[in-house]
Amino acid sequence: MTEAVTRGRTIPFFAPDLFEEDREVLLDLVRRTGTVAGQRFILGELTAALEEALRVTVDGAEVVACSSGTSGLTLILTAMGVGPGDEVVVPAYGCAPLGNTVANLGATPVFADIDPVTMVVDPAEVERAITPRTRAVMPAHMFSVMADMPAMREIARRHGVRLVEDSAVAQGGVLQGRPAGTWGEAGVFSFVQVKTFGTAGEGGAVVTHDAELARVVRGLRNHGQEGPRFVHQRVGINSRFDELQAAFQLHRLPGLAARLERRARIAAYYTERFAPLAERGIVPPPPGRDGRCYYVYSVLAEERDALERHLAAHGVASHVYYPLPLPHQPAFARFAPPGREWPHARAASRRQLALPVNPHLTDAEVEYVADTVCAFAAGGRAA
Amino acid sequence: MNPTAAGPVTGPAPDRSRPVPFFTQAASFEEAWPDIRARVTEVIDDGKYSHGRQVGRWEEALAEWTGARHCVAVNSGTDALVLLLRACGLEPGDEVVVPAFSFFATASSVVLAGGRPVFADIDPVTYTLDPASAADAVTARTTMLMPVHLFCQLADMGALARVAERHGLTLVEDSAEAIGMRWNGVHAGLLGAGGVLSFFPTKTLGALGDAGAVLTDDPLIAERVAALRHHGRTARTLAHFPGISSATELNGVNSKMDDLQAAVLLGKLPRLAGAVRRRAALAAAYTERLRDVPGLLRLPTLAVREAATDAVFYVYLVEAERRDALAAFLADHGVGTETYYPVPLHLQPCFARLGYRRGRFPHAEAACERTLALPFHPDLTDADLDTVCGLVRRFFTGRAAA
Repeated sequence: MTEAVTRGRTIPFFAPDLFEEDREVLLDLVRRTGTVAGQRFILGELTAALEEALRVTVDGAEVVACSSGTSGLTLILTAMGVGPGDEVVVPAYGCAPLGNTVANLGATPVFADIDPVTMVVDPAEVERAITPRTRAVMPAHMFSVMADMPAMREIARRHGVRLVEDSAVAQGGVLQGRPAGTWGEAGVFSFVQVKTFGTAGEGGAVVTHDAELARVVRGLRNHGQEGPRFVHQRVGINSRFDELQAAFQLHRLPGLAARLERRARIAAYYTERFAPLAERGIVPPPPGRDGRCYYVYSVLAEERDALERHLAAHGVASHVYYPLPLPHQPAFARFAPPGREWPHARAASRRQLALPVNPHLTDAEVEYVADTVCAFAAGGRAA
Repeated sequence: MNPTAAGPVTGPAPDRSRPVPFFTQAASFEEAWPDIRARVTEVIDDGKYSHGRQVGRWEEALAEWTGARHCVAVNSGTDALVLLLRACGLEPGDEVVVPAFSFFATASSVVLAGGRPVFADIDPVTYTLDPASAADAVTARTTMLMPVHLFCQLADMGALARVAERHGLTLVEDSAEAIGMRWNGVHAGLLGAGGVLSFFPTKTLGALGDAGAVLTDDPLIAERVAALRHHGRTARTLAHFPGISSATELNGVNSKMDDLQAAVLLGKLPRLAGAVRRRAALAAAYTERLRDVPGLLRLPTLAVREAATDAVFYVYLVEAERRDALAAFLADHGVGTETYYPVPLHLQPCFARLGYRRGRFPHAEAACERTLALPFHPDLTDADLDTVCGLVRRFFTGRAAA
């Protein structure tokens, strides 16, 4: 494999051509939304149709579309009554909403360390973080690996705390036959464009088998209106779903399975190529399909920054997701007890590097990415 | 049956040939489509669909149109209020004085930002915060005053600014409805620390879904809002995907605007000034047709303020006897209306714990019983106006015309 594959262009990490094939459809949907009789723009028939269509992908759980995965977490935590004085156990490594959604409700995020290889939260650390004030645990699926949800369910049951599943990245993942999003009392999906079921804008969904929770979330997402308009039972938020995005997602849904399969195959190929590199300081995620989602393909590299530079020099964009564990970021410093350490989170922050895995990549591009990583491991550093 | 002003009206079969929806912008959207299409094409070419280049261009265009030094695009007018209050330094437990008659977000934003809403009555003519009632509501815990500009005009910003100054309060504006409204040439939202705009589709300038913005001349407030909307990240994130790796400095939220919505807004903006003029003409035509209809207690009345003001008709709101019966009658004849707002904020179920009783704010409560918004939108024709006004007159007099 040669650099002819890239023809002088960089293989992008955040692909700009995600919806190129949908260009005319998208233009048509914008025009139709603007001119349609009825002039319904949010939470209309198309949103309801999307929610219904997604139910079959999550074992019949209720799906409540909302403005983002982040606001989905806020809706769930609010519906569960999480507030001042409560603690919620979250991973020390991951995306800001894990801490922000808890902190913004006046509650305290309690950070638990992660597994050093899979980078999802370590069940033993979660259990250790539970106190009498713990109201909920909120594990997150990370990159391509689902959290140990059977263990989380057992911990939540044993301690009598709520279980929120941050499945924002894991739509399409299945663990032990059970879809991501349905392991917790409630889970979320994010539809921001880069996700597995990304759309042409912001959006998300709450997923739950709990009908009462779903009812409350439906009210909360539209200002707490549970019955007649302009009557507000609860202080809800504006986290509604646009009909335009619902129309586009309904158009894209039939292709989702094929796109997920393409991601899984690219990931499987990478893992096969990288498995021998462990002793050379590059550790791929575990092989296999169970409990996996292929939103992001991340390796752990001892010489991560050098690998990133090597890839860039050879026309491959990569991405470091979380250069700092959550408790080491300024917004969460007040939730980090003095002297407390999260060594595995810190190591992941130093070693994690994500490679392109989007379904538009050609086989040649995928091979080229793998070759470039292997060449680095073999000592062929960039100049 | 003999139709009278006191009873239900019957008469000749209604003409249902052309219903008049409460809102549509279908025709004006189609008119703007070539411009909107060009912008949407730019979004697709660029490939970033939220918090991208088009959103950046929209912020610049909006700043130019309003004269704001800073415009920060967010996901909704409600989010804009929450983030504005937080960026202005609202602390947990702080009280914010708001009018008892407004859209829910006026009060919920205070709660969502960690504060406590304290209600005050409205002026019965303009439906905006009454300065004397606002001053009465101030306590030792009050830190902010947030008037709302409703329907067609600004609140009494001269008197309210003096109340804020006298009590040392930060003045912020719920200017969600107020695009184009100006006080002494200064755009709504820029008369205090900052304000907001909502671009919900039914607004004077509407997108095709939820969208909003914060307006301010204060660079620190703008920076804080810009960080809060993107999870609290202060590094560059607009039109820059890799910025998602930067550290979280504040406990922010996800309130990014969609580039497709920015594209629609940019496509519509060149027509906004004309749309505002058209709305003024429609409002004048409504008033001309309705001024002598018995049973209508009040038509929109623009207040004379100490400064020159620019009114913008977003909603044409009347006060009517037997308001609900009138709304039902109009609905039966294919005319859509809205009841803005049936329940005052201090009597909303979610605020029961604040302890307000009915009777506390008589003007707000009266407005909730009497006000009705008539069809008012960019596609409204003179024939539509004739239909609506004829039906209103028939409801109250039994006759179609005077």
